[in-house]
Amino acid sequence: MTCDEAHELITALVDHEALDPERSSLEAHLKECAHCRFALEEERALKQAIRGAGQGIYAPSELRDRILSDPRIFPGKSRPVARWRDYVWPIPHLARPALAVALFLAIALPTFVFLKSRSEPIAIAALETYDLFLRGELPVRGTENTNEIVEQLTRAVGGHFHPMGYDLTAMDLWPVAGLVREIDGRKILVAIYQGKGGTIFCYTFLGSEADAPPNAARFFDASKKKMNFYAFSSGGVNAVLHREGEVICILASEMPMEELLVLAQSKAKPS
Amino acid sequence: MSGQRKAEGAEREAFAREAMVHLDHLYRVGFHLAKHQDEAQELVQETLVRALAACDQFNPGTNMKAWLTKILYNLFFDRYHQRKRWISTDDPAYEESDYWKGLPVENPGPESHVLSRELNAQITDVLRRIPGEFRAPIVLVDMGDFTYEEAAEILSCPIGTIRSRLSRGRKLMQQYLRPYIGSEQERSKRK
Repeated sequence: MTCDEAHELITALVDHEALDPERSSLEAHLKECAHCRFALEEERALKQAIRGAGQGIYAPSELRDRILSDPRIFPGKSRPVARWRDYVWPIPHLARPALAVALFLAIALPTFVFLKSRSEPIAIAALETYDLFLRGELPVRGTENTNEIVEQLTRAVGGHFHPMGYDLTAMDLWPVAGLVREIDGRKILVAIYQGKGGTIFCYTFLGSEADAPPNAARFFDASKKKMNFYAFSSGGVNAVLHREGEVICILASEMPMEELLVLAQSKAKPS
Repeated sequence: MSGQRKAEGAEREAFAREAMVHLDHLYRVGFHLAKHQDEAQELVQETLVRALAACDQFNPGTNMKAWLTKILYNLFFDRYHQRKRWISTDDPAYEESDYWKGLPVENPGPESHVLSRELNAQITDVLRRIPGEFRAPIVLVDMGDFTYEEAAEILSCPIGTIRSRLSRGRKLMQQYLRPYIGSEQERSKRK
């Protein structure tokens, strides 16, 4: 076999697609040809790198949301957004100014009243994934390896920060999946743990303590860690937020708030 | 009648949920085929719409990921192929086409690159620069974990074509990525 003949077969060997007798011939050639052995290793490394690059690409959350609200795909669940013109169109011309005033009052007043409490929604918005996951509506890449989750998620944000890769096996909780969500242009890494101990979501993103919901209860650990913890709940899910440098970590679970707080305190590393 | 309709609706929803499991994969393929995020998103959404419309043609228990990917690829081909006709790699003149003249033979080396640039971004970038005929098999086999047979079925071409395009496509990618991929020893040898 010549090196030229070996080229395509090396590709097949790398992909586990080489069959006998070609495979045997190639293996015999590789024993004698250092150049082709080098080409084999190089192609293996390239394939691995391409595979890794692919794993760092996830469907954006806006696409997921668009699909979930597309009546052609999920007719029962979709919430098609009607344009305001669709509502106004059947109304006679003369009634339009009155309708406009009514709409303004209906939208502007509640917005004004709740503006302050809605200014930092990311921590609350992130918790939506918890419910989606339990309902099986959140496609995730499953794994049982914490390091694998950490590696994949870190790659997804170009290595700018890392997810909190906790070992929760003492609580009978094991890593099951990881995913990336994007809310308001900010990427949130989510590591999911499940087991007999229940379910825990660990969210990590770049931010500050101002990302804690305004109504969260603040606890200052004066004895050990000398840092703040913010406890809040949404949709039956309890959550505790803390900051480690520029990274915000939220632990979310249906477990009692006191237990979750103790867990967050035990895992947190002071900045 | 309404009971039957309800059952059909539930079946369709179950099918859509199962298809959603492959969302990341479909986006990954769409992203590398269409090159632009917006187009990729549109491609994936329309793929799911088409898949739902044809869900009775899917045989339960068979490879849904491959089935969806074929729909996505056909959709992409129908939609974008006419916009920019790909150069046929089977054409002997292809090797000397202007396309190749536009690309440097050797990678200019890490010095001329922004050092902080991630390898993954480099790979994505290089993948976008190589012709679609090479890119599609690489995306399917290396990123999608499809076998040659599955990739051949998706791209409607012989298995031998998949193998040769993979081989040539990877060689092309190596020209650009050689300084970044391989063992430390190999890389230092080249410096």
